[in-house]
Amino acid sequence: MKNTLKRRNFIKLTVSASGALVIGVHLQSCMPKKKIPEVYEFSPLIKIDTDGWVSLIAKNPEIGQGIKTALPMILAEELGANWNKVKVVQADYNKVYDEQWAGGSYAIILNWDLMRTAGAMVRQVLVRAASQKMNLPIEELTAKNSNIVHVKSGDSLPFEKLIVEASQIPLPEEVEFKSMDSFEIVGKSIPQVDLDKVVSGGVEYAIDVKLPEMVYATVLKNPVFEGGITSYEDNEARLVNGVVDIIELNNAAYGGRLIAPNSPNFVNGIAVIGKSTWATFKAVKKLKVVWDNSSSRKENTDEIFVRFHDQLSNTSIERKDGDIKKAKRSAALNYEAVYEVPFLAHATMEPMNCTVDFRDDFCEVWAPTQNPEALQEGLMKLFGLKPEQIKIHLPRIGGGFGRRYYVDYAMDAAILSQKTGKPVKLTWTREEDIRHDWYRPGSVQKIAASLDKEGMVIGWQHILANASRKTSLGREGGPAGTEIDEYDFPAGFVPNLQFEYGHVLSDVPLGQWRAVAASANAFAVHCFLDELAFINKMDPIDYFLEFLGPKRMVPVVGDYEFDVERLITVVEKVRQNSNWDTALPKGQGRGFAARKGAGSFIAEVVTIDTDENGKVKILRVDAAVDCGIVVNPSGAKAQVEGGILEGLCAALYGEITVKDGATVQSNFHDYQWMRMGEMPEINVEFIKNELPPRGLGEPPLPPAIPALANAIYAATGKRIRKLPIVNHLVD
Amino acid sequence: MPSYTIRVNNAEKTVSVDADTPLLWVLRDELGLTGTKYACGKGLCGSCTVQYKGNAIRSCTLPISSALEANITTIEGLSPDQNHPVQQAWMELDVPQCGYCQSGQLISAATLLSKNNNPTEDEINAAMSGNICRCGTYTRIRKAIQLASSKLDK
Ligand code: FES
Ligand code: FES
Repeated sequence: MKNTLKRRNFIKLTVSASGALVIGVHLQSCMPKKKIPEVYEFSPLIKIDTDGWVSLIAKNPEIGQGIKTALPMILAEELGANWNKVKVVQADYNKVYDEQWAGGSYAIILNWDLMRTAGAMVRQVLVRAASQKMNLPIEELTAKNSNIVHVKSGDSLPFEKLIVEASQIPLPEEVEFKSMDSFEIVGKSIPQVDLDKVVSGGVEYAIDVKLPEMVYATVLKNPVFEGGITSYEDNEARLVNGVVDIIELNNAAYGGRLIAPNSPNFVNGIAVIGKSTWATFKAVKKLKVVWDNSSSRKENTDEIFVRFHDQLSNTSIERKDGDIKKAKRSAALNYEAVYEVPFLAHATMEPMNCTVDFRDDFCEVWAPTQNPEALQEGLMKLFGLKPEQIKIHLPRIGGGFGRRYYVDYAMDAAILSQKTGKPVKLTWTREEDIRHDWYRPGSVQKIAASLDKEGMVIGWQHILANASRKTSLGREGGPAGTEIDEYDFPAGFVPNLQFEYGHVLSDVPLGQWRAVAASANAFAVHCFLDELAFINKMDPIDYFLEFLGPKRMVPVVGDYEFDVERLITVVEKVRQNSNWDTALPKGQGRGFAARKGAGSFIAEVVTIDTDENGKVKILRVDAAVDCGIVVNPSGAKAQVEGGILEGLCAALYGEITVKDGATVQSNFHDYQWMRMGEMPEINVEFIKNELPPRGLGEPPLPPAIPALANAIYAATGKRIRKLPIVNHLVD
Repeated sequence: MPSYTIRVNNAEKTVSVDADTPLLWVLRDELGLTGTKYACGKGLCGSCTVQYKGNAIRSCTLPISSALEANITTIEGLSPDQNHPVQQAWMELDVPQCGYCQSGQLISAATLLSKNNNPTEDEINAAMSGNICRCGTYTRIRKAIQLASSKLDK
């Protein structure tokens, strides 16, 4: 495949002092908002050393999604590098790497072409260099295992012997990608980089960083969202061995709660500085604080959900196709159901923490962040720093799931380092971590369908009411935002369709989560479709396939089309793999859901057993996935396994409740997570094709939730319309 | 502050800390053994698991004053060269995702196999029930323990 390059000046080859070929880049993704830079600055992406080792920069933060392996794999593939002689180097934050964040399942989507283009350009340069040096025609040369090989004669030259020549060759105007059938790295299960370090405790997470003269810190935040501090007494805390200082953190002095759209500032509280983490954890418990909660709404979850329910009848229309009222009048049957999903925390395994050395007008940060750009912006706003006064390291992260899209904890750490004049490692306790999260929005959702006499849907109304991420915390002045989008499923599939949004204001801090909106909305949509199947006395998969209709491209919005065939393919595959059409013993049941997310198509079947008390045991999960080309099957499968587990955990146990304006839960005893014995085998099959790879971090999660709820119905006849499931179980 | 001598990965270490300091923080902050992780501090998640007197214990709830009697094995001391059967199996099956829980998982798994080198699936689930994996690596961990066990059996 040949592509004419619009811009080839994004890449530059130089020879370093040590004689290595250094390929610098200034990347620009295809994101529409991006401007072409006026001046190109270069940072290394590839380095070919004189000893034949190839270093590849991993540009995005590694949060456990495997991106530190996957992006270099793509680069190495097009380059023709020998993976066994590749060193992967984690990048610091650097704007020339572009879109250097982890979220929305975007990393592969945004970087696939970039990595291929950069790798292929360098390969072409090396081939040209070899052609000159070997005096052979370009067409007869290929790159393989870090060599340029002349297939006919078997002659070859290793990359490192071409460094000088390559650095003098002009960059190609056309880039030619390798054909997929010649892939040697992409499509293979490659064990993740750093595996040996992970299994021996040798990875340095941000929480492990230790700097000379460093002090430790922890914080006690006002548990009430948006509260302040009236006064505090710290005599007892100061008596704890190893305590160095107690510092009040008041965001009013630092631009309030919101310093930039994606950079919420810290919550008001008191910090303890000490010579060890334990000293700070011990002392923080001895603080006596009088909190100022005068500005809190003092909310309780029950009351919040009453407001959500009320708001179902006071909505704005987010999408309107045809006429749902007309459909209602002509329907053979009108049917509706109301679903409820709770607020959810992230509870990343590595709690919020950050290490900052902010001295001499230079701020160096070791941040477990999914969003270094927001972190830089926050630091610039908070302290009036210029980008060149900030350095952000991106260590491996103990889980993100959307929590680390926000950088509040890093703001804390930076202020503490500035105030103490020392490097500070701030560690939040798990309790602070759970109580000061950016929760997945809870919501109430009503779906009403009008069915014709064949039972097919002719009208669909989906009303969602909640407090939205977009107006949460200090962002109330902005547009209301919505948690139901015009492109949500089943837009385009029903002639008369209406999406409505009822907006409620709340103090509860809301934010991203893994598949944030889909994780909530899929529960309502796919449980409702299951209900419709049973009303029509049809098999849920048969009904779903009829609902989808024939294989075709369904226009959804703008030029976004939904390829029905790809969804049908995964549905049929999972039907077969899960033995869907075989009978199960009494008390057991199967549930199904299938969706598109982040460009990928996923169908899941959950098989469960129940005991006489209704207690659920998940026996197995089957998933069929079409995410286009699978870059790294081992890593991709891990994302599916992880997404499914997270969906199942959320469905079974996930719930954050609020009392008097503060989060009730605080640790893993009351914010439960599934244990190993509850996790069944997960059987994943990827559909093989040559379509460009799409996102995989999020899409496996949403279908697991309705699939489990539907399995419970199949097993027990009990409809779960309100999560979590654990609240429905008899003890 | 009192001073304590403990044995960690077969080396004696002396530290000056309060008697109630959990072993976890001695390992991490005093001895620089950061492979042992903090995640809950309440014995709920297993991230801080180390081996002590042949058992998998939660170092976040074990005060140093109660850890003086025997050698403590942390993830750093599990093997010199990542060649403990559980580490080998973990790498073969590409188990970790974020990796943060994995030190604790590996220590629990190694402890289980040291007592029972051919555990059933139920025994594995029971022995590992104190270790949370937020990312969902449970199925791979289970397989890796079975793989390690099959290697030990030979
Ligand atoms: S940190 Fe010790 S069990 Fe969680
Ligand atoms: S691998 Fe992330 S918590 Fe287990």
